[in-house]
Amino acid sequence: MKGPVDLSVTFCGIAFKNPFLLSSSPVSNSAEMVERAFQAGWSGVVFKTLNSDRLPITHPSPRMHCIHYGNSKEIAVQNVEQISDRPLKDNLLECLYLKKHYPDHPIVASIMGFFEDEWVYLAKAAEDNGADMLELNFSCPHMCIEGAGHKVGQAFHLLERFTEAVKNHVSIPVMAKMTPNITDITEPALYAKKGGADAISAINTVRGISSVGLDDWVPRPNVFGKGAISGTSGPAVKPIGLNFIASMAKCETLGLPLSGIGGIETWTDALEYILLGAGTVQVTTGIMHYGYRIVEDMIEGLSDYMASRGVPSVSDLVGKALPNLYETEAFALDRQGIVQYDMNKCVGCGQCYIVCRDAGGQALEWDRRKRRPRLVEEKCLSCMLCSFVCPIPDLISFKEMPREWKRRETAVKDPSLTAEMKYEPFKKEGPDECIT
Amino acid sequence: MKHRKSFFPMRKEFDFGQAVVEANRCLLCHDAPCSQGCPADTRPAEFIRKLRFKNITGAIRTIKENNILGGACGVLCPTHRLCEKACSARMVSEGRPEGADRPIQIGKIQRCLIEYTWQTGFKVFPKPAPRPEKVAVVGSGPAGLGCAAELAKDGYRVTVFESRPEPGGVLRYGVVAYRFDDKFLKKELQDIKGLGVRFRCNTPIDAQTGVDWLFEQGFGAVFLGPGLWGATSLVPSGKKIGGVFSSVDYLSALRDGRFDQMAKKVEGKDVAVIGGGSVAMDCVGSAVRLGARDVYLVYRRSFTQMLAEPDERVDAQEAGVHFLLLNQPVGYVSDGRKHVKGVRLVRTRLGKEDASGRRSPVPVKGSEWTLPARVVIEAIGNVAPADSPRWYPGVQVDGHRRVRIHPETGATSRKGVFAGGDIVRGPGLVVQAVQDGKAAARAIKEYLREVKQEGRS
Repeated sequence: MKGPVDLSVTFCGIAFKNPFLLSSSPVSNSAEMVERAFQAGWSGVVFKTLNSDRLPITHPSPRMHCIHYGNSKEIAVQNVEQISDRPLKDNLLECLYLKKHYPDHPIVASIMGFFEDEWVYLAKAAEDNGADMLELNFSCPHMCIEGAGHKVGQAFHLLERFTEAVKNHVSIPVMAKMTPNITDITEPALYAKKGGADAISAINTVRGISSVGLDDWVPRPNVFGKGAISGTSGPAVKPIGLNFIASMAKCETLGLPLSGIGGIETWTDALEYILLGAGTVQVTTGIMHYGYRIVEDMIEGLSDYMASRGVPSVSDLVGKALPNLYETEAFALDRQGIVQYDMNKCVGCGQCYIVCRDAGGQALEWDRRKRRPRLVEEKCLSCMLCSFVCPIPDLISFKEMPREWKRRETAVKDPSLTAEMKYEPFKKEGPDECIT
Repeated sequence: MKHRKSFFPMRKEFDFGQAVVEANRCLLCHDAPCSQGCPADTRPAEFIRKLRFKNITGAIRTIKENNILGGACGVLCPTHRLCEKACSARMVSEGRPEGADRPIQIGKIQRCLIEYTWQTGFKVFPKPAPRPEKVAVVGSGPAGLGCAAELAKDGYRVTVFESRPEPGGVLRYGVVAYRFDDKFLKKELQDIKGLGVRFRCNTPIDAQTGVDWLFEQGFGAVFLGPGLWGATSLVPSGKKIGGVFSSVDYLSALRDGRFDQMAKKVEGKDVAVIGGGSVAMDCVGSAVRLGARDVYLVYRRSFTQMLAEPDERVDAQEAGVHFLLLNQPVGYVSDGRKHVKGVRLVRTRLGKEDASGRRSPVPVKGSEWTLPARVVIEAIGNVAPADSPRWYPGVQVDGHRRVRIHPETGATSRKGVFAGGDIVRGPGLVVQAVQDGKAAARAIKEYLREVKQEGRS
């Protein structure tokens, strides 16, 4: 039932009708496009990164490639597109148009400069022409000139300096967009905070190579015989995005609002980001695949979810999974379980048997005549691999075993070799943690 | 009785997982042709996309808001010539990247989603704010239900009058249970009752009561959706031959408590079914299930000219029905006790095209023969009962006693009376009847608004 749920969020003091924004990318390239996105239901836009016209921007051709997997298309998109190639004047006019006609749809202007004055110039130009907020692009993975793109995102002192410079000259909120092409995202995020950033968005695309041509040996996209390491996006990178959002949300010294990006197509994807601490989410690749229309299902799906669980406001969901997020050492290892099979549903394909034998605990036996697996419970590792390949939903599930239950140790192939073995047990005392 | 087993329950189709897999095959077309192919605007493209993007409740909402009998249509619609005919996945032929040369099985996805609402208890419609206006709906078949639900969603007080003991019309008494059973119907009706629609069964609106009585009861408007429950027969009027049934009577018997009685009559006998439409296919299929010795389908035209859907024809043949094509019944042979013992047939060949655009059957002289049969079911057309025009005085009907309406609004010649479904268009599809009811409901709302304004001014 469409109940009295409220999808609106306040992010850095700015009101959005829902948490779903276009991210800065080809999908937010012009006012004509963004206008249609607003009409479809997107609450706001991070406009395609503005440039100062100082250096000409020309996009490589072709710009993108993608990865299909089995029958699934576009599980990832690979792109070598640059920041906006449109003249700054045009982009500012577009912002003015959107501000004038869609005053209740906030505009976040993404900007990217190469040195302080350029950052400040772009920030002021955006502020003066309708931007409600700024996103500093510290993360474009294929703008490789020193001092720009993800190189800045990796040079923390620059990131702090540019943020500070922008903050000193504008009064609208400033969000820093992070690259995932680093080890610990909280580090640069804290530098951005030191520079005065009001929020952090993450992630930009992950540096990758989607595929290599086997006939021409050119990594894709093949730009007239040349390939490059470039930005990977889409459902395949969602786990990376969730990691970075959760890591920042867990970092108490950071404590800034977060905008989640990476592989979001459905309301469930968005909700996962929100539960891990994102206050808004941004989408590009999902739109590249299906169009602006996916927001209808994000809105309706999240509304119905909230109504069914009696959650009145999105803010009541932000970060709700974080208390359940631990380091792996917190796991209760004295509790163990195994898989259980509902054999009434089994169709006898035997994929479970293959993966258990070759990658699991060899806990399945195969009845060739009946074409059915048989579980040897005390050998089951509870790796769950069999449940991943099973074509029947809910046939294989996890169950906890009693505390006294013991898993059988993996058998040694030939114990008679003990006589030939050279072995001395390790006896030195040491710490329980890794020393760096 | 042993034969009941083969009638109940109706066949299962997709479970939820299968529906998701099928939805993932959808091409999510722009300006989707499937949605244009649905007479009731059920919007398959939209609900499949919603399912695809895990917006399951939204998918169900799309179906139910547009087609209150979404479940029934998912089961009964000849989708292969409606939404699925238009499916682009069907057009993607060999050698293309998708390799999907089958249309998306839209009907099965639709049915599964509706069944899913019943499993999960998801309520599609919020409680509407009640309105004072009262509307009477005559007949609880697809047209009446379509109209009633559309009005009730906006809070109108709707009462459905049904002459039989249970609501559902053709869905309840005109379809064999193995295709569509009571349990399924009850659940779909519950969705409509949940909107506040009241049902008054065993209450015929006939020559005694009539629509005048309804207006006297304070109903502001009346929708007529009585269906076609009279039958065309080869038996001369006034005469009666035992063992000869109309399809209306035979199929009703299998649904209204006379099942065992009818089963007894059919079991072990030779049965002849006359006709080539979908109803005839229900008759032959059920006769086989009831244990008839031999079941003959007698049709005066050719196989390809049959109006029954292709899958129904094939199912009947696979069930072992003997198709006697190009044979025209000319009369019955009865035994000494006025019970049928055979059908007189004359062979035909195809001649010139007739008004329906099909080549007409021409009897072959001297080819008469008798097909022995102890049970004959005539499935040669449902008509409006002879006295039906007297149920609604002032409403214009045509030569077939079908009600004349304004094609867009469903308004009849009598003020405040609207009509739709088979009583208007002749034997049609469930999905068309739902649409008729829906369209009429919108016109009724408009009509009641106007009446109210006139009352004020």
